[in-house]
Amino acid sequence: MNENLQHRIRARLLKLAHFVALFIAMAIICVPGLWVVLNSFRPTVDIMAKPPVWIPRGLNLDNYRAMFGAVGEGGVPVLQYFTNSLIISVTSTFIAILVGMAGGYAFARYRFKGKAAIFIGLMLTRAVPGVSLSLPLFIVMAKTGLIDTHMGLILVYVALNVPFTIWLIDGFFRQVPIDLAEAAEIDGCTRWQAFWKVEFPVARAGVASAGIFAFLTSWNEYALASQLTRSTFSKTMPVGLRDFTSEFTINWGGMCALAVLMIIPALILTFIVQKHLIAGLTFGGVKG
Amino acid sequence: MAQVQLQNVVKKYGAVEVVHGINLEIADNEFVVLVGPSGCGKSTTLRMIAGLEAISGGDISIGDRVVNDLPPRHRNISMVFQNYALYPHMTVRENLGFSLQIAKRPQAEIDKAVDEAAQILSLAEYMDRKPGALSGGQRQRVAMGRAIVRHPEVFLFDEPLSNLDAKLRTQMRTEIKKLHQKVKSTIVYVTHDQVEAMTLADRIVIMRDGHIEQVGTPLEVFETPANTFVATFIGSPPMNLLSGQIAGGEVAIDGGPKVTLPDQFAGKVQDGQKVILGFRADNLMPEGHAMPMEGASAEFEMVVNLSEPLGTETLLFGSLAGKEVQAKMLNPRPVADGERLQFQLDLTRCHLFDAETQQSLR
Amino acid sequence: MSRFRPPAWFVLLLPAIIILAAVVLIPLILSFYSSFTPYKLTRPETLYKWIGTFNYEKAMKSVHFWSAFGRTVLLLTVALNLEMLLGLGLALLVNKVTYGQRALRTIMMFPMMFSPVLVGFQFKFIFNDNVGLVNNALQSLGLTDRAIPWLVDGQLAFFSIVVAEMWSSTAVFAILILAGLFAVPRDPIEAAKVDGCTPWQSFRHITLPYVMPFIYIALAIRSLDVARAYDIVQIMTNGGPARRTELLWTLIGRTGYVDAKMGYANAMGYISIFLAIIFTVYFFRKLNAARSELGMAG
Repeated sequence: MNENLQHRIRARLLKLAHFVALFIAMAIICVPGLWVVLNSFRPTVDIMAKPPVWIPRGLNLDNYRAMFGAVGEGGVPVLQYFTNSLIISVTSTFIAILVGMAGGYAFARYRFKGKAAIFIGLMLTRAVPGVSLSLPLFIVMAKTGLIDTHMGLILVYVALNVPFTIWLIDGFFRQVPIDLAEAAEIDGCTRWQAFWKVEFPVARAGVASAGIFAFLTSWNEYALASQLTRSTFSKTMPVGLRDFTSEFTINWGGMCALAVLMIIPALILTFIVQKHLIAGLTFGGVKG
Repeated sequence: MAQVQLQNVVKKYGAVEVVHGINLEIADNEFVVLVGPSGCGKSTTLRMIAGLEAISGGDISIGDRVVNDLPPRHRNISMVFQNYALYPHMTVRENLGFSLQIAKRPQAEIDKAVDEAAQILSLAEYMDRKPGALSGGQRQRVAMGRAIVRHPEVFLFDEPLSNLDAKLRTQMRTEIKKLHQKVKSTIVYVTHDQVEAMTLADRIVIMRDGHIEQVGTPLEVFETPANTFVATFIGSPPMNLLSGQIAGGEVAIDGGPKVTLPDQFAGKVQDGQKVILGFRADNLMPEGHAMPMEGASAEFEMVVNLSEPLGTETLLFGSLAGKEVQAKMLNPRPVADGERLQFQLDLTRCHLFDAETQQSLR
Repeated sequence: MSRFRPPAWFVLLLPAIIILAAVVLIPLILSFYSSFTPYKLTRPETLYKWIGTFNYEKAMKSVHFWSAFGRTVLLLTVALNLEMLLGLGLALLVNKVTYGQRALRTIMMFPMMFSPVLVGFQFKFIFNDNVGLVNNALQSLGLTDRAIPWLVDGQLAFFSIVVAEMWSSTAVFAILILAGLFAVPRDPIEAAKVDGCTPWQSFRHITLPYVMPFIYIALAIRSLDVARAYDIVQIMTNGGPARRTELLWTLIGRTGYVDAKMGYANAMGYISIFLAIIFTVYFFRKLNAARSELGMAG
């Protein structure tokens, strides 16, 4: 019985250690984010206080009021940036999904010469670091007049997202048995109908996860946007964050408020499709 | 080598109890088969013995050691899984030697044990292949070999043959039986196939809904089923069951003929008691095509709806009192559907169950 | 019908090819050309002056370039390895949880939604020597009485950047490895337990080989957009103070935009592109090897 007792105690201890480790890990993940949220409700004086103010006092919505009123410190046109971000991200995601679906379908369903080479070629375009790409893009966009426009950034983001969308969607279409489409064709569908009525619904989860990744990339991208946008008409929120910094001071309160505004849509979207996120990465990757 | 003992073993998942305090003693070197329909708790019981599931109550001991909280590695057991559970990234040789490698045994000893197992299961030519390149039967043998090399005190088999095709299953069944003769150790074997249970077991444990219904040798459970469940579960085709009532030394089948109360039940029933009469197809035969019956027998007429010729005998499906009844015909002749035949029922081989408790009245 | 009809796959791939050619390929060709010129943004005519491999030679001889190069490789190696280990640990912790695992998974993905710039600002603030969270906490707990110059001292700044980068990207590893853990069949693990493995041994011999392809996928995905670290570094230190945290990317950015030496910046950009490609290709090859080990290839 002694032996049994030993093992039971050890099992209990391991359980406790597991719980503690999990708690610490989750705390490390959450604290920086929560700190930002908390500070968005505090006046800058409190944030910068020395000695530090640990227990929050005087929480208020001043930072948000200043942000949406486009007055107060800095007068950063947050709503304009938000709209820019939304237009650019949604449009580029939509186009990237269409292009990615066509490409992914081609890779999943057709055999052709140089398939592997083309695939790797497409993937490698994603490996080009943003800064390195931004220099020549800056020149090209300046020449074509696309610089500082929604259109310019949308095009860039579509190109940025297409390789990864193709990869994910390819993996998902491969999960759909080819018999399914063939059965539909025998039942009298055209290839086009077979795709939309049979294959697409089955692979929808993959398309959804690809969409999320594309959206998050566009929504959060900074390196390219910071060079290709100049004015309030095209600046996105990640670039807008820098408006809160000046030569020597940073308006932390205002910046935190904008940060919260940036996170919320991403958070909602991720929460809705989090199941697809994991499925997407797994299918696209391992089994593909 | 060791005996296995289960005392009031309970398994709960949250509030749901799936194994309700079972008691079982398995002797040293005994081959015990746990059999029952799916969901009866037989696999859970096996996994509790293995230590893969924690027990919620009671005691399990292996040898003379209580192992309730011990992890599997301290129980000195080995297990063959339904899906073989081979390590896909290791060759057959590595798969076989893995447990000894883990135990840090000297290489020479490992090689010897692995070669010995390979010999017993004729795996020698596949030693350097990976499981992916083997057929179902070969994988099954590797899984068994992996269990053998450790020389454990107890072997556990979890439906090991259910993924094989019928022919291979029969063949592997024989191999397992031979294996038991060779390695001489305690075996607990789980299956849902009563033929496997009958052919392999020293003793059969029949389970249903987390209870043990009967424990006995294959002949015991076949000859003297403890209740109607065991009666229909063991034996093929299943035992015919007809409800009736005791009426003055006779069993009156509801809406059917009366048959004399078999001698073995005299004094064990009361007049008016509701009963179920059970008999196997082997004991109901048409006149002129029956075995000579030594003891008491009953005779009645029955319409044959369907016949299945099996060669040496023909299986007949008739209806008696609105219920389907199966019978056998020896030295068969062609039987037309709808033909009316005189049948003989061997009363010495009949069973009576209480209609209410479903338990045998023997 | 004598008209040429392109094959269906080609038509389907055409949009992707066109857009990638327009946005990536053509600019890259342009930058490749300009890397052989002394092109300066302020003097457009310099684009037509051919100077051969002068820019590349200049980079090769530059101490700044090599120290940035070395630091970038070091950052990538340190960060990717630590993220992989922590991600593995986190995934194992979460995988063991039975109740509330969905909630934990959502929390785990939290940092993935943060824009790298935001992560940069956030950690710039947290590591601020005067009012930052870390120093405030250390001082309040009495562990130190002076302000630690997290972002000023070269080594501490490198450490701070690694921490920020890890916070933002460990989740990617954790999620992918968790997906891998879900895909591990239960039987071999149980077989290993019965075969006498301790929990560590069954992890080492059975679980890990199964999860390996997922780890390489995560490494491949991460190395594809590892340059995201540029955003974080640019905000936190912008390579400073005094080039002590200079990475290839910040060096390129400053040379191109601040000093307006586009030609030279493009030459260094090409070197950084090859660096990224080498990392990616390396992990994809590892991935295929790990897959065929488990018989999953195809």
